[in-house]
Amino acid sequence: MKLSAVQTDAMQELGNIGAAHAATTLSQMVGSTVQMSVPGIKAVDIADLGKYMGEESAAMVVFELQGEIQHGGFVIFYITRESAIRLTNTMLGLTEMNRPMNEMDESALLEVGNIMVSAFLDATAELLGFVMLPSPPAMTIDMVHAAMSSLIAGMGDDTDEVLLFSTELTCEEHKIDSDIIMMPEAKTLAHIIELLENMMKPA
Amino acid sequence: MHDLPTPEGQTAMIGIGEYRVGSYPMMTIGLGSCIGLTLYDDTVKVGAMVHIMLPDSAGRTDRPGKYADTAIDLLLKELTKLGCKNRSLVAKMAGGASMFEYFGANLNIGERNAVSVRKWLKENNIKLAAEDVGGKVGRSVTFTPSNRGKITVRRADGTNCEL
Repeated sequence: MKLSAVQTDAMQELGNIGAAHAATTLSQMVGSTVQMSVPGIKAVDIADLGKYMGEESAAMVVFELQGEIQHGGFVIFYITRESAIRLTNTMLGLTEMNRPMNEMDESALLEVGNIMVSAFLDATAELLGFVMLPSPPAMTIDMVHAAMSSLIAGMGDDTDEVLLFSTELTCEEHKIDSDIIMMPEAKTLAHIIELLENMMKPA
Repeated sequence: MHDLPTPEGQTAMIGIGEYRVGSYPMMTIGLGSCIGLTLYDDTVKVGAMVHIMLPDSAGRTDRPGKYADTAIDLLLKELTKLGCKNRSLVAKMAGGASMFEYFGANLNIGERNAVSVRKWLKENNIKLAAEDVGGKVGRSVTFTPSNRGKITVRRADGTNCEL
């Protein structure tokens, strides 16, 4: 679906509130300030997905949107490999950068993703009065395009275009660069837009 | 958008649901559950590559390259126009991984894609000469028809192989 300027603004505001809560939790976990970007919204044709996400490797902690909706799309905590190591080093009190990712890193990332995405969805649920619960997380450290295209292939409807809502969260002190990406299924998106539009109507 | 000629020496990047036919180098990056399928005819020295996402078109015709059944039909039509015969075509494929085991709706799409490709190739009497499918790993594939249909697969875990 195409979003109007007003709808885009509303979705950006929603992303803003969700990401701000996620940023707060990240900031508490690393004990440092976390900056967030203005949430970006992109409608991407699946044929062009490779222009936005390549074969570079990154860690992704993925949650399916559940709750009042089933198979509502996905929320993804995305972090580059280098940032992932810096993040877990910070949390685990390590300093060695040139090391392979191990199980400790993976469970730490899973936990960080869990906390951040829960905060993101709690905040958006409160605003919308509509509960989107995260599924248990799944994690992969692999080519970004491979992971994202697999998620799109598994979305409920046979989709040719996806809307990606992403907010960049960075921590300058520890050089951590990450993103929270929401990729709602079409019906979920339509429902969120409807709720947002109802909120903006004069009483 | 699908059949633009590619300038000499450049590699054509093939996105999800897209395909190319010719003798220039072609590439699909970041295959997860998707499949990169190539057909090559050594007598005519041309080939085709397609980036398949789902096993079955269920009657949809607007993006033939996206589904295993319609993609194979489409490639055969295009290759026949260039003088290729089914019996001299050789198929190879890579991808069909299962990146996330947990999600219900995601179950086995990669595997179902591979099964469907094999079925439609068989139906058309095309020989499947090699495959690198399954597992949990992302793959990028380069295809060079001019180099006797050479296929190189680069896996996300750092290993490479030739098909």
